[in-house]
Amino acid sequence: MDSEDDMMDANDVESVDDDFYSGEMDADCYSDDYGDYDDDVDEDDDDDSGPDYDFMAEAADDSDVVAARSQLSYTVLKEEDIRQRQEDDITKVSTVLSIPREAACILLRRYNWSVSKVHDEWFADEEAVRKSVGLLDGPVVRFSDAELVCGICFDTLPRDRIASAACGHPFCKQCWSGYISTTINDGPGCLTLKCPDPSCQAAVGQDMVNALTSSEDREKYARYLRRSYIEDNRKTKWCPAPGCEYAVDFVAGGGNFDVACLCSYSFCWNCTEEAHRPVDCGTVEKWILKNSAESENMNWILANSKPCPKCKRPIEKNQGCMHMTCTPPCKFEFCWLCLGAWSDHGERTGGFYACNRYEAAKQEGVYDEAERRREMAKNSLEKYTHYYERWASNQSSRQKALSDLHQMQTVHLEKLSDIHCTPESQLKFITEAWLQIVECRRVLKWTYAYGYYLPEHEQAKRQFFEYLQGEAESGLERLHQCAEKELQQFLTAEGPSKEFDDFRTKLAGLTSVTKNYFENLVRALENGLADVDSHAACSKGTSAKVTGICKARATKGKGNGKSGGSSRNGDD
Amino acid sequence: MTSSSAPSRKALSKIACNRLQKELAEWQLNPPSGFKHRVTDNLQKWVIDVIGAPGTLYANETYQLQVEFPEHYPMEAPQVIFVPPAPMHPHIYSNGHICLDILYDSWSPAMTVSSICISILSMLSSATVKQRPADNDRYVKNCHGRSPKETRWWFHDDKV
Repeated sequence: MDSEDDMMDANDVESVDDDFYSGEMDADCYSDDYGDYDDDVDEDDDDDSGPDYDFMAEAADDSDVVAARSQLSYTVLKEEDIRQRQEDDITKVSTVLSIPREAACILLRRYNWSVSKVHDEWFADEEAVRKSVGLLDGPVVRFSDAELVCGICFDTLPRDRIASAACGHPFCKQCWSGYISTTINDGPGCLTLKCPDPSCQAAVGQDMVNALTSSEDREKYARYLRRSYIEDNRKTKWCPAPGCEYAVDFVAGGGNFDVACLCSYSFCWNCTEEAHRPVDCGTVEKWILKNSAESENMNWILANSKPCPKCKRPIEKNQGCMHMTCTPPCKFEFCWLCLGAWSDHGERTGGFYACNRYEAAKQEGVYDEAERRREMAKNSLEKYTHYYERWASNQSSRQKALSDLHQMQTVHLEKLSDIHCTPESQLKFITEAWLQIVECRRVLKWTYAYGYYLPEHEQAKRQFFEYLQGEAESGLERLHQCAEKELQQFLTAEGPSKEFDDFRTKLAGLTSVTKNYFENLVRALENGLADVDSHAACSKGTSAKVTGICKARATKGKGNGKSGGSSRNGDD
Repeated sequence: MTSSSAPSRKALSKIACNRLQKELAEWQLNPPSGFKHRVTDNLQKWVIDVIGAPGTLYANETYQLQVEFPEHYPMEAPQVIFVPPAPMHPHIYSNGHICLDILYDSWSPAMTVSSICISILSMLSSATVKQRPADNDRYVKNCHGRSPKETRWWFHDDKV
């Protein structure tokens, strides 16, 4: 196989610097093109790179992008911060418009907690704004009697047991309490509470809620108000991690939606799924749907089962002879191959492990349609299973790495610091290595969803993608190995050693190289592997050879799953 | 049909009793015109005759409204339906359910049976054509005797 040579050219540098992006490789035309990524951008721009153009141009200035990414475009808000910000906004509006806090609160909620919007609307047409939220200038009814009739229970009561919103419609305090409580228990609609009089639009604010209801209802109302502050505000969202009560305030721009909450959960601010670079939100949605979809189960059933000829329940046959007995109460006995009654079978039809009737019918083409469908379902299911398994195994690897990281931080670092007489602050390189592993597992996981949706016919891209992914896997494997296995000996060492210093250099080097590689990988995948197109156009002559390389790479690497990198090196 | 299979209700709270007694007394003094309360000893379920207003499509026709009160009336809305045969109307289903916002989302405890009756009569009077809602058959079939208060109503038209 002539491709082996090329593979060796591309992979025979067995050092830490064995990095696809370092530009050390020269034989492989892909790596040339890719290694000089930044320099090539100007040429690429001349190509018809379509919608990717903008991203390419942005990516061209590497340092800027990195700077933009390292700058946080969001703030994590704790409950206290949320309360504080909400209070501040209310105070601001209340002061500028010279209206009570409750009124400011009602206005802010109406305009999705945007202070500037409230100001704009209010100063453009105060009367219209007042009308739209039910903030009255003064009462619409006035009573001078000592006793009033409550508009709900119709009891006649002394004034001190009556309360009213700004409109003046009288209701007794007990009825108010029932009314407000019922509305609060109906949900967040209580934030637009109005006077009970059907013809009256007067708003009922938090002051009345606090004055007229139980402490439980007051707390519920305050919680709805806080929720509204986060949920109705376009700049904020709750962290979606279960049990997490923090929110994130996001400043648009940068095109990167990844957000890391203080609870350590990372998620995409745009779609609120877990962080998923390099794949886009749409792909994640499709993939998650697919993972949970009934359709995959149906595909499996179609591919691996046949319906009982009598009761039609699907039956999976995973071993044994062709004589099937359906589960009770059906208990129908039939032949798996031809689905005929077993009573018609026996020695003369081929015994337990064959069926002459089936063979004969198959010759005549009777089973073709159903068989073909089953075969197709099986193929598509196999493809999905391939990607899903790897997606899921990186996910569990990541979970494991997270708990290892935790173990490291809580137990091992102290021990290491003791043995090697090094302050823990000098051992940060270990934590950094583990954080990098966790991040890489996350990226790698999503590359499998990316791979699943990469169109079958875009051969060059698929091959390039699988090459990059394989390199990423072996690079990460090396880092993981070093951080996990090679560290062990130093945990049981008796004292400081030169080896530990070497280990430090190696692990820190691997961390930085892997970080670099993954950042480039993410960027390349995010721009849709755009440089493959330009490459394919300019090097038709060599494409046959390249196909050879990548096929060999793909089958070997993928077949062995995570150990792809090392097994390849063994072959070499 | 649907009325008899409505879920059995909890007894009225003291507040609800007081208020209903007051409403009933007021009704007897001042009945809304076009309505007749059928006297029973059941405070929790009123049956009211509705007489179509003169000069409207329902002139000289009489229908029956059934009003059932929940434990926490008037904080919660009463359940109001026509006893079939219900009047032919674009917002009244053949099983007697009425698509009228004040009976559901827009209910306010300051409303009364009397104010509901007036709203319903005005809804009938403003009809220009006697016909069932477009989705009548589907809706009635899917109701299976459930209370209209369990329906998620969509109030599309406040003219009729």
